[in-house]
Amino acid sequence: MNAIILSAIWGVVLMFCSVLIKNKGVYRHIAALGLLVILAGNIHETYHGSFFNIDTHEMLRFSRFGLFFNTILLAATLLYVLLSGRDVEKAGGYVAEYFTLIFFVLCGASILTSFNTLLMLFIGIEILSIPLYILTGSDKRNLRSNEAALKYFLMGAFSTGILLMGIALVYGGTGSFMLEVPRSAIMGGYKGVSFLEVTGLLFLLVAMSFKVSAAPFHFWTPDVYDGAPSVFTSFMATIVKAAAFAAFLKLFEARVGDTSAAVDWKLLLSIIIVSTLLIGNVTAVFQQSVKRMLAYSSIAQAGFMLFAVFSLNDVAKEGLLLYATAYSLATIGVFAVLIKMKDVTFEGFNGLARKNPVLAATTTICLLSLAGIPLTAGFFAKFSMLSAVIKTGTYTWLVVVAVLFAAVSAYYYFRVIQAMYFKEGDAQTEEVTGGFKVLLIAVAALVILFGVQPQALLNWFYF
Amino acid sequence: MPLLNVLLTAAPAAASSASNYFPIGLQLLFAIGFVATMMVGTHLLGPKRRTGDKLENFASGIESHGDARQPMAIKYFLVAILFVLFDVEVIFFYPYAVNFRGLGWSGFWSVLMFVGFFAVGFFYIIKKGALQWED
Amino acid sequence: MSNLVFLVPLFPLLGFLINGLFRKSLSKPMIGVIGCGALLASFVVSAILFGNVAAANRLHPGQPIPATVLFDFINVSSFKIQFAFLADQLSCLFLLIITGIGFLIHLYSTSYMHEEPTEHYGRYFAYLNLFVFSMLLLVLGANYLVMFIGWEGVGLCSYLLIGFWFKNDNYNYAAKKAFVMNRIGDLGFLLAMFWLLAKLGTVDYNQVFAKTALLSKTDITAITLLFFVGAAGKSAQIPLYTWLPDAMAGPTPVSALIHAATMVTAGIYMIARSNVLYSLAECTQHVIAIIGLATALFAATIAIKQNDIKKVLAYSTVSQLGYMFLGLGVGAYTGAVFHVMTHAFFKALLFLGAGSVIHAMHHEQDIRNMGGLKKYLPKTHLTFLLGCLAIAGIPPFSGFFSKDEILAAAYAHSPIYWGIGVATAALTAFYMFRLYATTFLGNFRGTHDQQHHLHESPAAMTIPLMVLALLSVSGGFAGVPEVLGGDHQLHGWLSGVITSEKTHHLEHSTEYLLMGVSVALAVLASVFAISRYSKKPELQEATGLGKVLQNKWYIDELYDAVIVKPLLKLADVLKNVVEKSGIDGIVNGVGKFVHYSSRQLRLLQSGLVGSYILVIVLSIVVLFLVFWNQSIILQFVQKIF
Repeated sequence: MNAIILSAIWGVVLMFCSVLIKNKGVYRHIAALGLLVILAGNIHETYHGSFFNIDTHEMLRFSRFGLFFNTILLAATLLYVLLSGRDVEKAGGYVAEYFTLIFFVLCGASILTSFNTLLMLFIGIEILSIPLYILTGSDKRNLRSNEAALKYFLMGAFSTGILLMGIALVYGGTGSFMLEVPRSAIMGGYKGVSFLEVTGLLFLLVAMSFKVSAAPFHFWTPDVYDGAPSVFTSFMATIVKAAAFAAFLKLFEARVGDTSAAVDWKLLLSIIIVSTLLIGNVTAVFQQSVKRMLAYSSIAQAGFMLFAVFSLNDVAKEGLLLYATAYSLATIGVFAVLIKMKDVTFEGFNGLARKNPVLAATTTICLLSLAGIPLTAGFFAKFSMLSAVIKTGTYTWLVVVAVLFAAVSAYYYFRVIQAMYFKEGDAQTEEVTGGFKVLLIAVAALVILFGVQPQALLNWFYF
Repeated sequence: MPLLNVLLTAAPAAASSASNYFPIGLQLLFAIGFVATMMVGTHLLGPKRRTGDKLENFASGIESHGDARQPMAIKYFLVAILFVLFDVEVIFFYPYAVNFRGLGWSGFWSVLMFVGFFAVGFFYIIKKGALQWED
Repeated sequence: MSNLVFLVPLFPLLGFLINGLFRKSLSKPMIGVIGCGALLASFVVSAILFGNVAAANRLHPGQPIPATVLFDFINVSSFKIQFAFLADQLSCLFLLIITGIGFLIHLYSTSYMHEEPTEHYGRYFAYLNLFVFSMLLLVLGANYLVMFIGWEGVGLCSYLLIGFWFKNDNYNYAAKKAFVMNRIGDLGFLLAMFWLLAKLGTVDYNQVFAKTALLSKTDITAITLLFFVGAAGKSAQIPLYTWLPDAMAGPTPVSALIHAATMVTAGIYMIARSNVLYSLAECTQHVIAIIGLATALFAATIAIKQNDIKKVLAYSTVSQLGYMFLGLGVGAYTGAVFHVMTHAFFKALLFLGAGSVIHAMHHEQDIRNMGGLKKYLPKTHLTFLLGCLAIAGIPPFSGFFSKDEILAAAYAHSPIYWGIGVATAALTAFYMFRLYATTFLGNFRGTHDQQHHLHESPAAMTIPLMVLALLSVSGGFAGVPEVLGGDHQLHGWLSGVITSEKTHHLEHSTEYLLMGVSVALAVLASVFAISRYSKKPELQEATGLGKVLQNKWYIDELYDAVIVKPLLKLADVLKNVVEKSGIDGIVNGVGKFVHYSSRQLRLLQSGLVGSYILVIVLSIVVLFLVFWNQSIILQFVQKIF
């Protein structure tokens, strides 16, 4: 509750900052401060309860998992603002508003980690999405940014329609919006799993797959990630995607887990997972722009995270926490460097290692983590996802497929490393400050820390 | 409609089965059918005289000129959308007014908060100059 | 006190680290002091250990010496191998040989290698110390795994030291040859170890020997044969002996230490250590005896016609190792170990003597260009002569006792073995005195320049020679047989370890006769050789059988034609056909396929929202169809797979 309310309020505060404070450089400090406040509030809530005592009529339920996920999201956003805050100022003319929108997105994200009815799911997703449409188009003079925003909006609207359709059908099938409906309490006394409910859940699956950019509903992702200003792509690809996954898992754990005795969802999910892995990884191979490659890689990573939804067990939940952390850390790190690059194609990275060894080294560590090389956080994240699948006992061939595609992914991640270290070139970067480098090193250190001691994160979750 | 439930393991119970929707479906069918029949009927039966004057757009007798798709100042849209926004939100006052007594003080504070949000938003758009007509 | 045991290999290891890491900053004398000091310290500790074992032996005769566990090496559920040292009677004997002779050779090296630049001088001593460290691991290990670590270590050091002068391609080739040959043997060792692990779950000596009852006849035979393959590789037996003569490319002290006194006897040590296993495998023993005998004879014939001073000694080493294997094969384990000891003394002496000659002759190794060195190098000459007498088996020099013990055991086994053994002994005496006569007697045949520079070696070289000469002369008294009024102390000493010695009882008269025959033959051969070669040594090219012998029976050429060339051909085929078009083809094909599909999949991303939504809608329809018909699809899939 703290996170939802505080982030909404802080969004409004920043909104007024744009009116009251003319110095653009101040906004990011206010945003960072706000994030610290919200983070503190959220951690306080995790252990001692909320500051606000509001009866939500069970429409929101604050579980340990959700609150911990909030912590991860907020910490990632804080890191993001610290690393790339200066670049937000360059994205367009309305700096404070961008931060405002980021806070509103966080508000939506916190709803998504705690919703207990499908209505709150819908509201959360809308609060999450609408600011993103604006952020995507924030570079008003850039046609590609405009195009991306419009595409995102159109397709987002389409998926919202599907989401609503699904919610309506589920309501029709069970007579309740609540996430967990006891079978006995279903309206009309129908104890089985009705056609309406299952169809509704299918629509929900499609809508959520759209939000997490799973194939074949991923089409918006490359265009939008590529067209949006890099600094917002970084935000969308990490925090927003992680929040959407939290919602996806929460929804399916309650609703699909409930029907899984009657209906087998595994085949459908495995088709979606395999096609996501296929399209994400294989298409990334041919890209010439690192930014677009990262867009496809985020699809590929989504394929891995979908394993959590696929297996729906405790290992999967822990795994998703780990994965969200590992993926967000690494992607924020890579994007922070990418934003500083003058040329975002692979050639633009040629010879970065000689020019700026710190940037090259930290980027390398982040890329290794994305590829899932041992001793980085990404390895254990992938490992726990795969072990979650193995724990389900069925569809173990998915593990083989996933590992094969992870091998393919190494190709395009290593291309960047190769460009940085083994190719002659003159990589042009913008000025980077010492603080930026220190932060990058901290990110890399965290990536390695969680790669060596993944328990450090999970222990925190349990205590 | 038991056919659709073939794949589901649990057998449909009579009470909440889709057959309850049968009258609604029937009505829907009837409505669509009626409209369609009428439209097709008038189209087929009515007399047609196609002259140039008849195909002209009717604009209260004023002759139309040019294309409607012309660039227009964004301000119109801005004002229009803001109007819609506030206008729609004001609608909440009607139910509140009706239940004013029943909701008591808690209702009052809630609406005050709602109005407060409103005012904040309004303050913001005024400060931002969204309603300033002249540049 | 037995905890001291870890110190023994520690000193050489420290020496290796210091000399290896600081070889550029240390001065030559400092390097020498560190290298020799490490060995001396090690020798002192070994002597203390030896004393301890002796005391323990006296107090509790027959009681086995416990192993010292340093740490758990491998500990995976029930599978456990400890890093343990066992300093019992056998190990202690080898410790003394290794550290004692090792120290003398280190001392010798300080002078012999003095012309090397400091950096390489340091490298030399580092390698030498590392070798000693590995060799000590080998003999100290309380299980086959630790032995194997040392076994590999000495192989590596041998490689490094043979190729010490790495700027010469031939030397590198010799080093590679030694390494590859050794690796072939090591494979046998490894397989034997795996076999033991598979059958008994342990490689610990005590446990293995206690559990032999669990092994079938086939198991024991196979394991012992495989171990013997390892031993044949390391100890240069047929068919893996060809590396040893080539190994003479290394510096002469290295040849003395590694390729005569210590490393090459590792195989004998291993088999003596495993005597419990071997005495259960009759078949293997036959194989060992025959191969040993064949190697002894074969190498001796080659040695007759060699003109390189070190090559003669190398083939002599191979031949003597053959003797030792003969001893092992007929169950005279103590005799074999005894011969290892005496051989270490006199062969180290001979090599160092040869080194002294080479040093004096400015790296001339061809004996045809020597002669008459007696008056220029008196100390070297005298010690070398003593060494020759020892190896020829002339009583009362050390070689006589050990060789006699093996020959007696061979006779007890089969008179034919004895016959061949004695013939070999005669050949040995012949070629050794041929070498002696050609080198030291007659007139000097070298260039004038060489003659001008002839000089006796410095004390650092002659002192080790003298010490070794003393040992060569007296070393045999550790095992004076009963028949000559001795009580064979070595036999008593080793009885705790070598429990399956085959005892044989020959009539005293028979033994006297055997000794008489072999001594008489040896003396005859020696005298013949001296008289034949001191006046007019053979300088012209050999012909006929001599040529065959000079070319070592063309074994290298045979191996080259039968094994190396076909292997290279096969490798060529694999490289050009299988690798290029097969494996590379598959690998590159996968890459190309991914690239191709990437290019095609990319086209899905048309950029048109309309087509995106169309695809989405179509996918929804397809997914719905799949979902509602999944039982049919799954059935279909199951039918296919």
